[in-house]
This record gives sequence, structure tokens and C-alpha cells, in this order.
Amino acid sequence: MIINEWTYWIAITQLKGWRIEAVNKLVVNIFHEQKSSFEEIFSLERNELSNRYNLNEKECLDIINLKEELPNYSFLAEDLKSQGFEIIPINSPDYSPTLKENLKLKSSPTVIYIKGNRKILMEKSIAIVGSREADDISLEFTDNVAKKASKEFKVIVSGFAKGVDRQALESAMKYTGQSIIVLPQGVLTFGSGYQKYYQQIVNGDVLVLSVFHPKAQWASGLAMARNPIIYALAHEIYVAQSSDSGGTWHGVIDGLRKGREIFVRKPEPNEKNANQLLIQRGAIPVDLHGEIQESKKYIENAIEEKYIFKEHHKTKAVAEPDIVEKIFGILKTGSYTSAEIIQKAQLNWKPGQLTKFLKEQNNVRMSDSTPKRFTIVGEQSETLF
Amino acid sequence: MNREQAEQILSKTFCIDKFYDTQWEVIKRLLIGERILLIEKTGFGKSLCFQFTATQLSGTTIIFSPLIALMRDQVNKLNSLGIPVRCINSNQELEENNEIIAEAIAGNIKILYIAPERMENIDWLASTRQMNISMVVIDEAHCISNWGHDFRPAYRRIINLVNLLPISFPVLACTATATLRVEEDIKNQIGNINYTYRGNLLRENFRLFVIKVETEEEKMAWLGKNLNNLPGTGLIYTGTRVNTEIYSRWLKYLGIESKNYSADLDADQRKEVELGLLENRWKCIVSTNALGMGIDKPDIGFIIHTQIPESPIHYYQEIGRAGRNGDKTFIILFYNPNADDDLPIYFIENHKPVITKYYKVIEALKRSRLGENDIIREANLKKTEIRVIKADLIDQSIINEVLDGRSKKYEYRFDAPELNYSAFDEIMQHKQRDFRKIREYIYTYDCRMKYLTDYLGDNLKGKCNKCDNDTNNVKVVDFYEDWKEKIETFQESYYPQLEVKALHTKLQSGFAAAYYGFSNVGKTIHKCKYKNKGDFPDSLLNITIKAFNANFKSTDFDLLLYVPPTESGDLVRNFASKLARELKIKISHSLHKSKPTKPQKIFQSSLMKSENLKGVFIYENQSEINGKKILLIDDIWDSGASMKEIGKYLTSLGAEKIVPLVIAKTVGGDV
Ligand SMILES: [Zn+2]
Repeated sequence: MIINEWTYWIAITQLKGWRIEAVNKLVVNIFHEQKSSFEEIFSLERNELSNRYNLNEKECLDIINLKEELPNYSFLAEDLKSQGFEIIPINSPDYSPTLKENLKLKSSPTVIYIKGNRKILMEKSIAIVGSREADDISLEFTDNVAKKASKEFKVIVSGFAKGVDRQALESAMKYTGQSIIVLPQGVLTFGSGYQKYYQQIVNGDVLVLSVFHPKAQWASGLAMARNPIIYALAHEIYVAQSSDSGGTWHGVIDGLRKGREIFVRKPEPNEKNANQLLIQRGAIPVDLHGEIQESKKYIENAIEEKYIFKEHHKTKAVAEPDIVEKIFGILKTGSYTSAEIIQKAQLNWKPGQLTKFLKEQNNVRMSDSTPKRFTIVGEQSETLF
Repeated sequence: MNREQAEQILSKTFCIDKFYDTQWEVIKRLLIGERILLIEKTGFGKSLCFQFTATQLSGTTIIFSPLIALMRDQVNKLNSLGIPVRCINSNQELEENNEIIAEAIAGNIKILYIAPERMENIDWLASTRQMNISMVVIDEAHCISNWGHDFRPAYRRIINLVNLLPISFPVLACTATATLRVEEDIKNQIGNINYTYRGNLLRENFRLFVIKVETEEEKMAWLGKNLNNLPGTGLIYTGTRVNTEIYSRWLKYLGIESKNYSADLDADQRKEVELGLLENRWKCIVSTNALGMGIDKPDIGFIIHTQIPESPIHYYQEIGRAGRNGDKTFIILFYNPNADDDLPIYFIENHKPVITKYYKVIEALKRSRLGENDIIREANLKKTEIRVIKADLIDQSIINEVLDGRSKKYEYRFDAPELNYSAFDEIMQHKQRDFRKIREYIYTYDCRMKYLTDYLGDNLKGKCNKCDNDTNNVKVVDFYEDWKEKIETFQESYYPQLEVKALHTKLQSGFAAAYYGFSNVGKTIHKCKYKNKGDFPDSLLNITIKAFNANFKSTDFDLLLYVPPTESGDLVRNFASKLARELKIKISHSLHKSKPTKPQKIFQSSLMKSENLKGVFIYENQSEINGKKILLIDDIWDSGASMKEIGKYLTSLGAEKIVPLVIAKTVGGDV
């Protein structure tokens, strides 16, 4: 990877109002269709840009404006390089093929930021997901699956949340397997996390990865936005414990909708969680050791499905990482109504949809006034550790 | 903008009528976003190239410069022209720096001077993301190069930055001293340089002399006799800190106003000396090369070296600041073939720590992520060594310097390559070659200016017709006998100072009777301490009494204490007892160590030395100390850690004043 291009790569992810897909298409356009370079596109005048790259007026203007900010991104890129981080762009042979395969051009992050052994991205991988407040049996399951995976040289993808996530990571280390920590924040704000996993990073057993702006602080919105990345980085997904809402639930439902195979721990009869519901929705039941169970109840489940879907259709609003980051970027600068945010971020959301999303974020405060205004409650309202 | 328009603006803004052709060429290229390397001698007007360009660009130009004094002068000059220029540096309060950064972000600053080290500062890095940056200038660009005479690791991050800047962003690197080799290296490292300008390096107003002598005393005699006849004020470079002190005190002894300057001074003291130099407060400043390029004084009348530098390029750089106004200036190099090679050869051979020390650091960092002090403890190495090693390991991509919150930590890279130690050997051979070249300068019978400029890559036609060889005016010291007595009297009355800079202590600066390495003092102490030759002889007692009388005769001490021993038994106790009897000061034997300590000399860093002693000293009848003036005795002052720790302790017991007095002061690792 040519380090000299880091500046441009960071910059294009910051194009205001651009969705991931649009940025990725620009990349394809520059490198594959035009066989050109960043240097060239940033040297073009507006009419050349619109002719050669088929961009509309606003898009041309965005790129021309971005040119002014390039030196600023050079400083950021230098900081990253100097601190031992790497940027892997979507067209790099080092980019995770699994991620690209699962998210396609539409939502594969244009760049990923890493520290550690990048070769881990090429290995077979599994994610073990589940609730932050998991029961002992779920943690035992997680440990079993992590042990098996490590034995088979599969990489564990962890979201670094409490509960199942953390157990998966600890177990991977216990069995000297490899793991990827997918951060709900930028790589430059992980602080003492690097201290904690220092030995594993040095040995090449842990890769720290983020898809957000390197300086982004932890936020629950980013944590939500990170979940699809975890699922997409993994070849196999195991669910230890899910409730009937929240990140795990939505992640699995989304995965099933996209036709992915997802393995769910078959719960004991008295467990109060939604594992059974997920199995009924099409997830594959596995036992406490992660082995597939022959289920006689498949058909029964299918019949029940309609009823269950009705009961659980009140899903949370989910947003893609780039959108979430944009929304939070705007909220940091003041307090706004949903309509204002939609306009600023140029989202194709309905105000109601955004209001619902914002209400679910625990670090966003809503005013009592009408219309409702939203703002951030301090930059680090919650810590990870 | 054409040249005519530019010169109109020039005369309005800078009160200068015309550009030199090269200046305009550089400006023209910068304005269209090119990358330029500019090698021109001091006084050419390199700064105008970027200063003018900066005023014509929208946004802030960032100038990396290692020379705080020079930055300050430039800032004042430009502000007086009404150009908004500021400087961020570590000598300013955090608040002031933050205000300047805020102004720059608000777009109110045209030129911002910063030190290269600032690239490691978290606040600075955060602010760079918000500024509108229009150009980057790398001043003293030779500091980029390992092959130069003044390689500075802090430039590494500037190189990284420049390589990450968009290709059409204007960058100017300038230097007054670059050999062809260094020029090549700068070009390789910066990359994509559109054009290099190299001017001629001949300084027409220089009068170059070499004076060969047989002893250090002959240099002293020559200076005593001739210094006042040299024009104006100037600089004497001595090579070591100790010699700055000795020469400066020698000149004062003769009634010639002088001031010493070295890295030992703190920022305020430095500022004071630099200001005094500008105001011609002294005939000369006696300095190590810590003072130098940073001085923006146009009328330096002479630059004298009492010590041969490491290479012709070191020399050319150090004399570069003389006579910028074009007046005649005297450039004199003393050389004593019997002794003067030792220092540069020592520096050349020890320019890198031994390979095992590198591995100590690597192994420590493989085990854990550490800060600088942690590495010093883990590896038991000197801070200066750790700094060199760290910089090299970062350069070779073996470790990273990272920020953990606000503190710097060092990490081993998981895919780190093997240490390439042989790269350093190559640099050492290069340095040895360079040293042979400066010795050739001493012995040449040809034009000295031609010798220097040819070495730098110039091709001077003919000679300067002004140096000692060209004018057949070779100086010799044939009058030493007349000065012998004066110099001996001075030497006998000379007592090295023991400097105490710490706050919150009643410990004051004291004196040693002699330097450890001078005459036989060190050898005598060593024999008694390590070869069981019995008590310190009366000769040592006598010089110590003389040192006391010369410096403290008027002080009434209440109590004489001595540093309790680690390994030398009763030597210091017996010595202190004799001294107390002679000086008629009451002695106390009540200062002890509460637990055994390790000998200080096994610790390499002053950090570990002081940690070895923390809380170790204890005094039996503590109330006895309150309000007392105490004379504190020891045999050797090395880092001074023991005496400083005792000073702190006695201060806490209410001592009014504590003054250290020792037999010998070491100079950089004698013992
Ligand atoms: Zn000459």
C-alpha cells in the first residue's frame, strides 16, 4: 500500500453528504475505469470533473472544496503512520475479502484503520455474538466455540463489548487463537486498550480495527453501526444469547434476511431469551459446544414464525456506520431538529425515522421544546471499561 | 503576478526594492505549488523567499525551525512590518501557545514558526486539522540527513508529513550548509522536489586563520594578548562545557568582559545571554555549539574555535553566522596536535551506543509498552543513550512512538525488521573521513576558503586572497613565557562550580577544589578509594581548604556534615573531621543511611541514581538542624544526586542554608 496516498483516502471518506456507495463508486471510477489517480482528480477543474467522472454539480464542488482540506488530512495521516497505524483502502489486496464479499460496493467501508497483524484479515473467521448481560451458560458456550475455533485456526471477531464479546476475546487469547477487535470508535481514541492487548498485538495474535474517523470518540450510535461490520468480517456467526431487541437481535435478523447461515445456541427450556425465536426465524440451532443439532421441530417453527414476526416487528432504527458518524459529527456542533440534521447530512431519511433513531441513543439528549432538538451529552458519556 | 507587480508589493510590505533573481525564481515556483530545495549561504536572504510567498497565499504558512532564538527575532521583525507572524515553542507558557493556535485556526496568522519537536505534541496535531494551511517550510533542512553535521530525529516526522502532503502543495526546504551527499539525501527523503537552487558559498569578508599550538595554555595566552584587538564582539567555541567555564573565567580574570553559554543554561538564562550578545554587552560569548546558527546578529566580528570541530561542514556551519553585514570578520581555529583530536574522535567513535544497548531496549519493549523513564529503568541506560537508541529504532520501523492520553509510550512493532546496526558503521566511517578532511584543512598550504567551499560542493575559481595562507600571514604563539605566571596563578585559584538548580531546597551551589581529571587529584582519590592506600593525603586537604577560603570565608557555618559512605569506609569521615578541625566548624556524625544503598556508579541515568537514594538519609537528632547553616562535604561530585537528596532532607528539617564542598568534580563519566 502506498503510504503517500493515505491523505487522499482519509479525505474522501469525509466527503460531506456522500454515502459509502457513492464514495466507493468514485474509487472504482478513478482507479479502474479512468485508470487515473487521486492526484489527477484533485487537479481537475469543475467542468473536467463533471465530464470525465460524470459527477453532478454538487459532487464536483464537494471534491474541489475537499482539496482545500487535504493538508489537514496530511497531518492526521502522519499522526496515524507515526503511531504505527495502517490504512487499508478498499482496493488494496490487504483489504478483508470477507468484508467486501458480504457488504459489496454498497456498504463496504472505503477504508479500514488497523493496528497489528493485517494478515489476520485473510484467515477464516467467526464471530460469537450476544448480549452484554449474558448468562453463565452463554459465556460457557462462547468459551467452547472460541476454543474449537482457535483449534481450527479460525480468527475470532469481537466487538469488544461486555459479556459475550469480551468472553470471546478472552477465550481466543486463552487458547492462543487470533482475534480481531472491531472498535466502536476511532483507532486514535482506544487509549489504554492497546496497553491491555499489547502482548497479543506484538505477537501478531490481535488486530485492532475501526471503520470510523480515527479521532471519533466512543458513542452508542457507533457501537450500533459497528455491528454489521462484525457480522460482515466473519465467515460464520454464532449467537450465544439474544434478547428480542437490541444489537444482537437486529444483526441476526439482518443477516438472515441477507441469507447468511447463523448458528444459535439452543436454549434450555426455562431460559428467558430470544434464542428460540431466532431459531424459529431460520437460524441454525447448535448445542453447548457449537455442534449442529438435528432439529425435529423445523416445521413447527416455520408455522409459528408468522405469529412471532408480528410480535417483534417493532424493530429499532439501524443505520450504517458512515451515516451514524455524520449524524454524531453534526450533533457535536450544537443542537438541531431532526429535519435540520437530515438537511445538513443530506440523508434520505424521514424526520420521524431519525427522531426514533436519536431517541434510542443513550448519549443524545432531547429538548422539551417543540419541535424537539437533539444534542450530545458530553463527548464520552460512557466508558468501555 | 509578474516580477514587477511582486516587487511593488515587496517595497510596500517589506521596504525592500528588488528581489535577487534566484529569490524571484523560488517565489514564482512556490506560488504555483512546487517543491523547492534552496541551498544558499547565510545572508543570502532565504527567509524573504518564504516570507513574501506566505503573504501572497491565503492561509497560514508553517515554518519548521529548530532555532528558537532565530524564530523570535524573525517574529519581531515581521510584526514590526505589520505582518501577523507568531511562534510556538516550548519556552512559552502553554496558555500563550494555545492562544496562538486559536488565532491560527481563526485565520489571523500568516506565518507560524514552530520547532520540529512540536509534531509530537497532541494539541498541535489536533489543531492542524482545523487550520487553513497554505505552505510548509523546512528551515535548516540539512537536519533531515544522517549524513549531515546536525542530524535531528525530530525532522523524521516532518519528512513523513511532507510525503503525505498533496503533490501540488508548496514546500520549501532551505539550508546554508549541505554537501552534495546531503543534498542528494534531502532530495531522496522529501521526494518530488521540482527544483534545487544551489548558490556559491564563498564568504568574501572572512579572514580565515589556523593557529597551531603545543598546549592549551598557549591558546589562553594568545587570546589574552589579542582578543581585545579583534573587531567588535564575537564568539569563542570551546568544544566542552567545562572549557566554556574555564575560558570565560580566564578572560574575566584578565578583565575582558565575557559570558559562558552551554546546554546547562535554562531557557531564561539563554535568552538573557542571547540578548546580551545582540546588545554587545560582552567582548565575547564562550560557548559550546549549543549557541550558534540561531543567533541573528549581523555584526559578529570574530569566531574563534579553541577546539577542532568534527568536520569541515561543522566548521563552515559554526562560522557561518559571522559578518553577515559584510564587514571584515576574523575566523580563527586553534589546533594542538598533542591533545585536540581526542574529543572529536571520541564523539565519532561513540556517536552510537554499542549494539547490546540497542537490544536491551528492544527486549524491554518486546515485553511491555513503556514510557521513556520506564525504559531507562528497565534497560539501566543513560537518558542520552536512550534518546539516540529510541530515535534509531523508530527510524528503522522497529518501534513506534505512540500517545496514551497525553503521555508518550513506545511500542514494539509486531512485524518489526531486525536491527540494522551496520548502517551506523557506515555513518561512522563517513564521519571518520570527514574528520580527516578538517585535519587537512589545518595542514593545507592553499587557500582555506577554497578548501571549505570545495568540500561543500562548490567550485571556487582562484583563491580568496584573504586567508593566512594566501596573505602569507601565518600566526604563531611565540610569547608564551610572558604569560606563564599569569596563567598559573589563574589555574591555582580556579574552583569548579557545583551547580544546583532545583527549586524547594536550601541547598545552594557550591564548589569543588579541582576537576577530577585535572592534575593528580583524580588519581590520588582513586588510589585511596579503590586501592586501599589509606586516608586522603594532606595535599587534598590543603586544596579543599583553599577552595573554602576562596569562596566561603565570609560565611559563618554552624555545622559541618559529610555524606555517609557506601563503600569507601571511613575515608570521607576522616577527611571531614580533619577539615572541620582546620576550618573550626563543629562536625556532626549523625547523618546516616537508613538502609544500605547500591553504589551510585552502577546506575547509568540520573533518574535511577536519585531513585536509589530516595528517602535513604536520616539524621539522629533532627531538631539540631533547624535554622542551621551547614557545610556539606563529600569526596566527589558526579551527578550530585546524594548531595541533592541530603539537601532536600535537611531542608525539610528546617536548615537555613546548605552549601556543598567537594574535593573533585567529574566531567562526564570520569570515575
Ligand atoms: Zn584564501
